[in-house]
Amino acid sequence: MTLTSETVEVSADPRAQYDRARAERWSDGAPLLPATDDAITALLAATPYPADHALCVLPPSNGVATIELIAVNAAMAGCEPAAFPFVVAALEAISEPEWNAFGLTTTTSSVCPMLLVNGPSRDDLAIDYRAGCMGGAAGRGSMTIGRAVALCIRNIGGQRAGETTKTVFGQPARFGFCIGEWEERSPWPSLAERRGYTVDQDVVTVHGGKGTFPLADIHNDDARDLLYLIAKSIAFPLSNMFLGNVQNGEVVVAFNPMWAERFGAAFPDVDELQHHLRENAWQPIDLWPAPNREILRKKGRVDADGRVHLVGRPDQIVPIVCGGLGSLHAIALPSFGESQMQSHAVLRP
Amino acid sequence: MSADTIFVRRPTATPAGEVRAATFSLDRPIAGVHVGIRTDGAWRSWRLIASVWDEYLRRDGAVTTLVETGGMVGNTGANDRKHIVELADGVDCAIVGLGTCGSCTTFTIKDSVVVEQREKPVVAIVTEEFEVHGHNVATHLGHGDLKVLVLPYPLEARPEAELRAIADEFYPQVLTQLGVVTSGAGA
Repeated sequence: MTLTSETVEVSADPRAQYDRARAERWSDGAPLLPATDDAITALLAATPYPADHALCVLPPSNGVATIELIAVNAAMAGCEPAAFPFVVAALEAISEPEWNAFGLTTTTSSVCPMLLVNGPSRDDLAIDYRAGCMGGAAGRGSMTIGRAVALCIRNIGGQRAGETTKTVFGQPARFGFCIGEWEERSPWPSLAERRGYTVDQDVVTVHGGKGTFPLADIHNDDARDLLYLIAKSIAFPLSNMFLGNVQNGEVVVAFNPMWAERFGAAFPDVDELQHHLRENAWQPIDLWPAPNREILRKKGRVDADGRVHLVGRPDQIVPIVCGGLGSLHAIALPSFGESQMQSHAVLRP
Repeated sequence: MSADTIFVRRPTATPAGEVRAATFSLDRPIAGVHVGIRTDGAWRSWRLIASVWDEYLRRDGAVTTLVETGGMVGNTGANDRKHIVELADGVDCAIVGLGTCGSCTTFTIKDSVVVEQREKPVVAIVTEEFEVHGHNVATHLGHGDLKVLVLPYPLEARPEAELRAIADEFYPQVLTQLGVVTSGAGA
């Protein structure tokens, strides 16, 4: 296999490599592994695409993401070959027009691609879905797949804070965010199944998420009451979802397995659960000051009862199951709004 | 390669932007020209400035068509892009704004490019903080010479009188950017 990307001679000393990567602006600030030909070739052997295949064009700078260039970044992130097709699937999802990569990579918002993985390879690749899955669990798959995708956006897409992206704060997940769903503890079909895939498929779903929004409770025994409070909590007044169009965007809500079991008993049908969440995810129009009220009314966001719903449809509130067995907590992944979640199956040779 | 060095592969791509599409100029008086104005439901300030310019353009003999955008994806986004294409097809030139956030600047430039691709004069309106970003997006879309008019930043939260003064101050510059032949047109 002949590689065509530019060869660069660097020091064999890891600390000197780190300095060089920062000087060349290949780095996200943390050390990287050297993208040697051996490492890249091993990754390329794990995908059905030829090395010179142009998978997509990545904004903001519209760099052409060839499979080889993606593999270079994945090698730097430490991806093992079996994980590389997940990186490719994530980039295929990101480049779907309705994910709105042009908008999301340049916005003042803190939004970034949040990768949600379903399928049989989660354990083999150490894609975290149990305790600490959103930070701290340190599974190789989660850390390297998420970081590889983030490096591709940085190095191929040219995303640079303060230069090509206007993000005001950024967020930790811009280093990389990749979690699995604990499908075996979910009372409902997995996220991927609900999106048309089968249980034996590995699937990456990309959510344009603005961060992790924590929710906690120790007082409610009734599943409906707790879901009511979760719905109210995710409908916070300054959510992006109240800025844009009610039919766009999804809010992911990650339930711990203990809560999921309770919620599943009350709502065996996930559609009913989503309906209950949607029906309660609203705030009264009087909550907002007069200028906001005027805008919300003009946008048709206020119903006959004076309610401003977070989303227009139940399927825009997306439950997943993951996290530890300590219960007590849920995490919402609020949406940018003008972005539609996208999924791609993982393809192998 | 010595024992002290290794070879790695460069991970970066060359940014798009080698192509610089042509820009266009009216080269005639504004009277009788059909001007498209693209506003954005997100920005009250821009709607006000655009309304002032709309009034002045009609006063000066132009015909105007306004399109307000508000979506990037879904049905709203698809409808917005359809309306921009229709606007670009139907007008002689266009004023497209407002770039005063990251994503809205991106879409302001993208919608401006739709007009320029039809070989018609267009000026993208951005605020100072988003000027570089606007030029970057235009360059990466192959329209690095796209005409961009820069308004003060921030516009939001200014009193209406200030916004009207800004509209007055910059109206002649809009005409200049569009290539209007004028004998001292102004507010």
